[in-house]
Amino acid sequence: MAKGVVLVVDDEAQIRDILGFYLKRADYQVLLAENGRQALEAMAKVKPDLILSDLRMPELAGDEFCQIVKGNPETRDIYFVLVSALDGTASKIGGLNLGADDMISKPFHAQEVMAKVESAFRLIAMQKEIKRQNLELTSFQERMTTELALAARLQMGLLPRSPGQAAGIRYTHRYLPAEGIGGDIYTILPAPDGGTALMIADVSGHGVTAALISAMVKTFFEAQVRLGGDPLAWARAMNQDLARNTLPEQFATAFLAHLDPATSVMRYVVAGHDAPMHIAQGSSGGFMKPELLPGKGFMLGIDEDLMFQEQSCPFEVGDRMILFTDGLVEVEREDRAFLGHDGLLRVCSELPGDAEQAVDCIVGKVQAFNAPSAFVDDVTLVVLDRQ
Amino acid sequence: MLNIQTRQEGNSSVVTIQGKVNFEVTAQLRDVIRDTVTTQQPKLLVINLEGVNFIDSSGLGLLVAARNSVDKNNGKLHLCGLPPQVKKTFDQTNLTNYFSIFATEQDALRGA
Repeated sequence: MAKGVVLVVDDEAQIRDILGFYLKRADYQVLLAENGRQALEAMAKVKPDLILSDLRMPELAGDEFCQIVKGNPETRDIYFVLVSALDGTASKIGGLNLGADDMISKPFHAQEVMAKVESAFRLIAMQKEIKRQNLELTSFQERMTTELALAARLQMGLLPRSPGQAAGIRYTHRYLPAEGIGGDIYTILPAPDGGTALMIADVSGHGVTAALISAMVKTFFEAQVRLGGDPLAWARAMNQDLARNTLPEQFATAFLAHLDPATSVMRYVVAGHDAPMHIAQGSSGGFMKPELLPGKGFMLGIDEDLMFQEQSCPFEVGDRMILFTDGLVEVEREDRAFLGHDGLLRVCSELPGDAEQAVDCIVGKVQAFNAPSAFVDDVTLVVLDRQ
Repeated sequence: MLNIQTRQEGNSSVVTIQGKVNFEVTAQLRDVIRDTVTTQQPKLLVINLEGVNFIDSSGLGLLVAARNSVDKNNGKLHLCGLPPQVKKTFDQTNLTNYFSIFATEQDALRGA
């Protein structure tokens, strides 16, 4: 099999013969043409890999021919060498500006031409390989993008419908994953005792792995809630489940809670998570005094034997609770400042009464504080209004 | 930018970390800690966090994994030099009670 196809275009028969002879001897398939017009006709039948074209020719000269070849998307990848009697740097630059890939000045040594041809074919082979790899990468990327989009839709489906209601509360959320899918999750479901169970969690890391673990966290939580028990029991069991089923450095921070609407008492466990903000009578809107719930504790999943603590607080009708993941408050601005909890307390000290407006107001104010830096981690924000 | 340095002090290895420890750099840091633990098999691994201005959950996970691997080799992990910002994160997650934490590197080396 020939090493490649070379089209020699020259109005001098002698030059066509010499180049043709050497090229054939070096195992190339050779096409011959007397001018640009003939060359284009030949190219319509067989597409060459390389063109060696004279500059001055009747009918269609080398410069115009070159422009036609390089201007056509079908043929512009063909390696084009202009062979010109016009010596000197200026004409060389002129030729390269036309789009030619290389120049050879006349008179030439056949060996020089052959060396250029060989080196051009090495480049052509490399280009072909790069193109092939590019195609492969593009198709891989397209597949991944499609799969990630599907996964993202699935993950959105794991979140409660927003806005929604459960015994004693109305809730709404905003969920902004950093990479299409993320490690944040929250869930609200009825507890067997008639109360409402809720959890917000943030799995270490980002992307697909974090998203898979976040789905596990939700499943573990909901399984525990259905068994009855209290947030402390849920935290202990989930900690063991996660420690056994994930790598040591994979864990989740979480806030787990149970609301008894009859007594307006919320029992909760803070597991390495940012404690939520409680705003007394916050659902009526206006100027308020938000407070971070007290409590701290280990994350879930680092060690099976860790202990957790349960606490409780009043959650009265008309109160508002704001749950969030650390992505909301841990954006480093250009001046290296973070919003932090104090900043979020300030943001939440004046909010609209309407929960949808309130949640958008928080996101808007936080983004304005961080600007021009954007969120880099997954962000989940939930507003619970006690009713 | 993350700067990691390791050195030997008798039977102990000291890893000094400077910069922001987040998701983007955990792979690099994980390699250094794993290499140190497997090649030196130190009785005591000291991680100096004095120059760390931020640590996220991936960074915390890495330290937990480091303690696990040192435990497996019957060694100990001591952390030292936690800046206030990092200390706050450790307090919030109770990790202050999970790790042995010392004020200075000398204390951490002596605490073996």
